[in-house]
Amino acid sequence: MTSTATRPEAPGTPVVPVPPPAPDGRSGIAGLLELPGNAVRVVVRSAATTPGRLSVIAVGLVLLALIAGLVATVSVQNKKDTINGLIDHREPLAAAAQEVYRSLSDADATAASAFLSTGTEPRELRQRYEQAIAQAGAALAKAASDSAGVANAAEKVDILSQQLPVYTGLIETARANNRLGYPAGASYLREGSELLRAKVLPAAQDLYRIDTDRLAQEQDDATGFPWLATLLMLALLAALIVTQVYLTRRTNRLLNVGLVVASVSVVVALLWGTVALVVQGSLVASGQDNGTHQVDVLVRARIAALQARADETLTLVARGDGAPYEADFKQLAGQLGGPDGKGGLLSEAQGLADGQGPAGQIDAAIQDASAWFKAHTLVRVNDDRGDYQDAVDLAIKENDKGTAAATFLSLDRNLLAAINIGRQQFLDDTHDANGALTLLAPGLAVLSVIALAGATMGIRERLREYR
Amino acid sequence: MKMRRDSVRLGVLAVVAMLAAACGDAGKPVDPAPIGSVQPPQPAHVGGADPSKGGGGTADTSCDPKASLSPNGVGLTGFSAASTMGKIKQRGKLVAGVDQTNFLFGFRNPTTGNLEGFDIDMVKQVAKAIFGSDEGRVQYRAIPSSQRENVLKDHQVDIVVRTFSITCDRKKRLGFSSVYYVAGQRILVDGNSQVKQLSDLSGKRVCATATSTSLTKIATDPSKPVPVSVDNWSDCLVMLQQGQVDAVSTDDVILAGMAAQDPTLKIVGDRFTEENYGIAVPIENDDMVRYVNAVLEGVRNGPWQASYKQWLGSRLPEASPPQATYQ
Repeated sequence: MTSTATRPEAPGTPVVPVPPPAPDGRSGIAGLLELPGNAVRVVVRSAATTPGRLSVIAVGLVLLALIAGLVATVSVQNKKDTINGLIDHREPLAAAAQEVYRSLSDADATAASAFLSTGTEPRELRQRYEQAIAQAGAALAKAASDSAGVANAAEKVDILSQQLPVYTGLIETARANNRLGYPAGASYLREGSELLRAKVLPAAQDLYRIDTDRLAQEQDDATGFPWLATLLMLALLAALIVTQVYLTRRTNRLLNVGLVVASVSVVVALLWGTVALVVQGSLVASGQDNGTHQVDVLVRARIAALQARADETLTLVARGDGAPYEADFKQLAGQLGGPDGKGGLLSEAQGLADGQGPAGQIDAAIQDASAWFKAHTLVRVNDDRGDYQDAVDLAIKENDKGTAAATFLSLDRNLLAAINIGRQQFLDDTHDANGALTLLAPGLAVLSVIALAGATMGIRERLREYR
Repeated sequence: MKMRRDSVRLGVLAVVAMLAAACGDAGKPVDPAPIGSVQPPQPAHVGGADPSKGGGGTADTSCDPKASLSPNGVGLTGFSAASTMGKIKQRGKLVAGVDQTNFLFGFRNPTTGNLEGFDIDMVKQVAKAIFGSDEGRVQYRAIPSSQRENVLKDHQVDIVVRTFSITCDRKKRLGFSSVYYVAGQRILVDGNSQVKQLSDLSGKRVCATATSTSLTKIATDPSKPVPVSVDNWSDCLVMLQQGQVDAVSTDDVILAGMAAQDPTLKIVGDRFTEENYGIAVPIENDDMVRYVNAVLEGVRNGPWQASYKQWLGSRLPEASPPQATYQ
């Protein structure tokens, strides 16, 4: 029992018993301030003897096991919450924001098509418009429910919820005037379209971007590895091993059952945690790559298509004065299918799918897009040649084969199907990622308790030998 | 004893006052969703006066705007293949710049999808003379007021028939037919308005299309109304209905078309300008000017009255076609 010499403070520090608190004086605060110092002194003094040192080691191990177990359990539970948040909250919100953006673009295109058709407004167009407006309203309410904390998103939601009723008001005024046969209807329609394009759609696009970025951000968070918890667990394991070695040297007994149990439970916790987290991380990442990232590209393609469609019909509404719309169409068509029809968002989506998931739908969409662009060229040729009615028919007749309307609708349907497949992939992968963490949090808690109990018992057994 | 009770009461009061002060003011209820000022929607490209483009330059009296090239000796069918008309016939379509927002003169009928109106009838007469029939022979290009000169200069259209006033300034850059309609600027206001003339609109917002003679008149009036310019005439009606302008001031026939779309509006005051509508062609196409004048000679004897009756008869007093003057 000479190890006191190894303690630097020990020789110089006179071992004075802690003075009992003076019965009369010493304010409570001063007493409190002295507590840590006293505690250190007590510990240092106890460490001078083997049983004392064993007690200190036991306390240290218990504390370390408690902290490591707590941190590991909490961080795994947090991760589970993040993943559940992705499924229940973030992804539906991003989908809601894209629905606002898409349905408003759809309303714009449909209102212009309905205007072009003569006589009674076609039922299916009116229904599509009403559907789009209802979807926009419902999705906006959903998107608004989460925008409170994010100033930027709240501002966009504000613009959208203030302008959407104004837009529908203009469209209904346009309809009423149209029914009366008054050209003011066309002016109200153009005013509505202008409002949508200048104010509403940019806000919807920004909101979509914000929500998609937040989704990606949380996916990144969910794939992160909990380094602190891992380091603490490794430290606990190291401490257990060092203690075991120390005890073996001191007592010449090869194994301490309690410490072995503790070490084994920590090893199990580490292995289980690592495997589960690696699997979980890769599944979340797969949900991001095959799911949300693909969906983002497809959504952008679908919206570009809808806006190009609105341009196509508005060019005809403008009747000779639509050069800006046609220029916009060309630009959007370039985004969608690339300048030569072999690039753009569609082929980006095709590359991401890589023959799996929604690849079939994307291939079909690419064919639709090229058929649509062909039909569009024909619409322009007819219109520029002066065959206005032929151009209009080619642009808006949905039930005739190969018209711009029919090919566009097919494109829209295929893109929607592809988007739904992508969303399903996200859901499946992320759900599986959540499954990989099943019981891990309580498991880690139990294993930590076992480690704690093992260490305590193991050392107490040795301590008993000193009595 | 009484004094003591009093001091106790005082103490209680003081404590209550201190407690109240410590709780602080509850403040006012907050507005949970402040919106600031509301911006009503407005048509695209709303602007003010544009003096650089000069509009029609009504003040310019350096010429007789009504005098056009004489159609004497021009046969309606006997044009050569090399003439402007010959090229149009060769092409198979007459390309006409028109309005599709001006109820009664040039507008799209939402029920049929066709363009109709007094100006459209004039286009059809020209096409009928060239091709024998106007059926499928006209390619209409709807153009905003501000594009009327450009589409002719760039030869995107053969003729412009779009309530286009002949002025000396415009005659420097374009060829004009003889006058086919005489209109005059008046004022369209809300039914309850007390406005009777342009001077009543001092400081008020008054709408007209960009680069129209009407806009120039509003911008240069000594009573200083505030000019508001838009692309198309219907946009002025929209702004008046939305309460964004106090009046629309332009030719009475255009105002009649707006009043016909909204019974709560009224046209007030006398004509304070004279607008001579002519058919415009690119400046170098003198042969086309003479040809159109020949067509208009025929139109004055019959078709003119029929068109007038169809579009304006029920809304304006009876009228007869303006006499042509030639140089």
